[in-house]
Amino acid sequence: MKPLTINFRSKAAQTIVDEQVQNSLEHVYTGFYQGRLNAAADTPNWEELRTKGKAIKDHTIAHLDHYLDMLSGKVEENGGTVFFADNADEARQYITKLAKDRDIATVIKAKSMVSEEMSLAENMNDAGFEAVETDLGEYIIQLAGETPYHLIAPAVHKSRKDVADLLDKDFTDGDRVPDATELTMLAREQLRDVFARADMSVTGVNFAVAESGSIVLVTNEGNGRMSTSVPRIHVAVMGMEKIVPSIQDLSTMLRILIRSATGQRISTYVTMVNGPKTPDEEEGPDEFHLVIMNNGRHKLLRDPLLRESLNCIRCGACLNACPVYRKVGGHAYGWVYPGPIGAIVTPVITGLKDASDLPAASSLCGACHEACPVKINIPRMLLELRHRTAEGLSDPNERTSKFSERAIWKAWRIGMMGRGRFDWGARIGYLFMRPFSINGWMKKAPPPISGWTLSRDFPLIARESLKSRLNRRHKKDV
Amino acid sequence: MTDKVSFIKQVTKALGRSKMIRPTENYATAIFDDRHLASANAVQAVTDADSMSASLIEQMVQSADEAGWKVHRTDNFEESAELIVSICKDHNANSVLRSAHSVLTDIPLDSALTASGAVLEVTEHSSESSIQQIQKSKSAAFRADVGITGVDYAVAETGTVVLHPRAGVSRLLSLAPPTHIAVLRPGDVLASLDELFAIQRDDFLNGELQGSMNLISGPSKTADIEGTTVTGIHGPLEVHLIIIENNKS
Amino acid sequence: MPETLYNNLGTQSVTLFATCMIDQMAPAVGESTVEVLEHLGLQVNFVDQQTCCGQPAFNSGFRSESLPVAQRFLELFEKVDGPIIVPSGSCAAMVRNFYTDLFKHDEGLVERARSLSERVYEFTEFIDRFFGCNAIVGTCDDQVTYHKCCHLLREIGIDEQPLKMLSNIDGLRITPMNRADVCCGFGGAFSVKMPDISSAILDEKLDNIEATKANRLVAGDIGCIYQIQGGLRRRGSTTRVLHIAEILSESIRNSKTGKVTE
Repeated sequence: MKPLTINFRSKAAQTIVDEQVQNSLEHVYTGFYQGRLNAAADTPNWEELRTKGKAIKDHTIAHLDHYLDMLSGKVEENGGTVFFADNADEARQYITKLAKDRDIATVIKAKSMVSEEMSLAENMNDAGFEAVETDLGEYIIQLAGETPYHLIAPAVHKSRKDVADLLDKDFTDGDRVPDATELTMLAREQLRDVFARADMSVTGVNFAVAESGSIVLVTNEGNGRMSTSVPRIHVAVMGMEKIVPSIQDLSTMLRILIRSATGQRISTYVTMVNGPKTPDEEEGPDEFHLVIMNNGRHKLLRDPLLRESLNCIRCGACLNACPVYRKVGGHAYGWVYPGPIGAIVTPVITGLKDASDLPAASSLCGACHEACPVKINIPRMLLELRHRTAEGLSDPNERTSKFSERAIWKAWRIGMMGRGRFDWGARIGYLFMRPFSINGWMKKAPPPISGWTLSRDFPLIARESLKSRLNRRHKKDV
Repeated sequence: MTDKVSFIKQVTKALGRSKMIRPTENYATAIFDDRHLASANAVQAVTDADSMSASLIEQMVQSADEAGWKVHRTDNFEESAELIVSICKDHNANSVLRSAHSVLTDIPLDSALTASGAVLEVTEHSSESSIQQIQKSKSAAFRADVGITGVDYAVAETGTVVLHPRAGVSRLLSLAPPTHIAVLRPGDVLASLDELFAIQRDDFLNGELQGSMNLISGPSKTADIEGTTVTGIHGPLEVHLIIIENNKS
Repeated sequence: MPETLYNNLGTQSVTLFATCMIDQMAPAVGESTVEVLEHLGLQVNFVDQQTCCGQPAFNSGFRSESLPVAQRFLELFEKVDGPIIVPSGSCAAMVRNFYTDLFKHDEGLVERARSLSERVYEFTEFIDRFFGCNAIVGTCDDQVTYHKCCHLLREIGIDEQPLKMLSNIDGLRITPMNRADVCCGFGGAFSVKMPDISSAILDEKLDNIEATKANRLVAGDIGCIYQIQGGLRRRGSTTRVLHIAEILSESIRNSKTGKVTE
């Protein structure tokens, strides 16, 4: 997917004033966010599970080479085929060639953000295959020609009317917009046919178990199960970091993933696939392919401070907790992964230069860190990326700060390095600002803080510093 | 084209090392638990399932209900078969499919269904089944009104029914028809996901891991349209769990 | 925080780190902080040379500008003994949680920062830890609500304690705010670099504040206080925002003078 991170500010500005999307984003808080809080309260050892989950992922990433080696060996032992893709193009080419070589006509897709990195459905449709998204949310946005808006609720921004128009323009009867059930049943009907004739499926992977070569899919709808039962070829695509070492680790990981994502105790379906079908089974794929993709993740891996972002299990809890995401929506982030985790992963993978607004778009409130089931310290990484865009010390290409901004902080530093100038600077500021203020507040602040007064009054600097006031009260110096 | 060796080498390099090192311990992951420990955990899980079956069944009834199963408790095999017939009748079911799970032959299901007039197909084929027969079974699953399976394990923590594949067409039976009925015997209810995966891990270490496993916890659902939950998007709209309290005819 | 060296404090003397914003923009908050601490029987010292902890530049990514300012802070406050009280969750967090990242290229500085951090406390944290939430007794006849500033909540770990302190004030009616723990949108320079997003987040906070129908909002960080007050004023609201130190000192004064309100 071509990154459009450069459009962050304009997309954000559009979304903030879009009332319908703002209403939809409210659901993200009342539904998913509250759901996680309720589930956490309901789970007596929740904090223990988070600690354990973090430790499992820390260990796995710290030995990712070893576990990739183990996983791929096991998958092949089980009769599957593993393809290592350095980048999205390679992955897409492999899958497309496979489909061609096997005379595939219809490809069904289920639950894969990684496939969005390679714009798989779009490209396969262009190449003459019928590639259909089967997750209801993904199906809706495929019909709309859009990209996902949220990690687990891709069509969260669409209204019922939007959906009705997409599913069938003639479906709306007069002014009445069909309810969610009618629309869902219509989608079920439309996709049933597709399932029955699908020859190949492409799914994502929630967890790949290294010791047994198993992949695990978490869904609520059943399209994941359809994908692993009906077609003769099943291709699973994964980011290289989605590994857990042991089958037993799944009980911890499934609990923290699902409860953090939707608040459910467990998703309706959890499917564990250990390779192609066994000889005495009749349904199930004859062929199982696992595509393990890097696509820039080594850039996160090689940086000890950013490495933790690879612990992400893609639950979306950070999005739901983020006051910025809930205002700007998913598309503003310009690539596959929105929200706080997107603000780390997207710039590093697609280029910090064009994506410098992403780590800047945060009040550093820490709600993401608090929400993360594996305790990823996102604010700390945002600060690191801001350091790179501001000063570019290790890579000058990453510096995007303007000369004026650098000059301001230089002046700030000079002003803070001595008490005398600190006081003088403040008193001069007071004198300048006073004529423009009433009762200690200004309607229009001067640059560089003029953005403030677009929507808020700005307070006047004090006439007298605290130091001066305390000294007047005869407080002793140290 | 990337090959495995260069891909993994790049990962090793990114980790700041020149050679891959093999970890030998970590407190959080179970991968370093040896076979004896894995076996002990599995044995404990099964023993508990048996000794605590009464309380686990109570838990399962509650969690399955919360997960959206319609839960029924029957006293014996015959009652169970009758109940299945009555559910099928409620849905005006013409075409009913069942899997090859042993519990479905323990109960007099086939005779009860045939007597009621429903068309029952058993999807157990031999290894000599032709492609056409297999395709026919798959299509039948898509056309069926009701799919009936047994239960390999149940998980009380989450209200989950666990199914391993059976000979023949079995995965689709709990997925394609709009109604799914799962029949559970006592003693098959595990306390939590920890026990389930302990057993799976032990199976794996003994070279007995099944080709796939499906965990089912309620009817198929989605909330992708305006956050409204709707059941029955791709999988069954209605799922019934029949718990046979006694292994009696 | 490591275990305290002080048992029931064991000292009568503390030092105030005012923070640059309170020092030059809201000195009344600093005075209130001193009054409350003195009321608890402490002698409050003030380091005349203090300016800033370095956070603004650090948060904007300009670590090379932040570093000398932070180092200067370290040098100044290492020289004093005893607890250092900070009426700001974000500034206390900068010293305790982020100096190690800022100083990471210098082991010596990291060690000195860690050592100093052991006696740096946010204002309400300090009171809760050494005196208890019932220590401050006072009177204030008013209806207020409370906003949980993000760094105080998530970096310092102070949640309900300030509310307990407020509920100990006679006559003070506290209306809980919906989504009290959701950010106000300040975020330092973020508030002027991305003003539309900052204001959109603020709008939701203001709606929640107005829904409480409180006369005043109490909070623990001056940045948030200005963000919220500035927004309320722009809306034409009469709701006033004040720092917790201010309402505590006001309540103490009321008790002394026999008044119930200021």
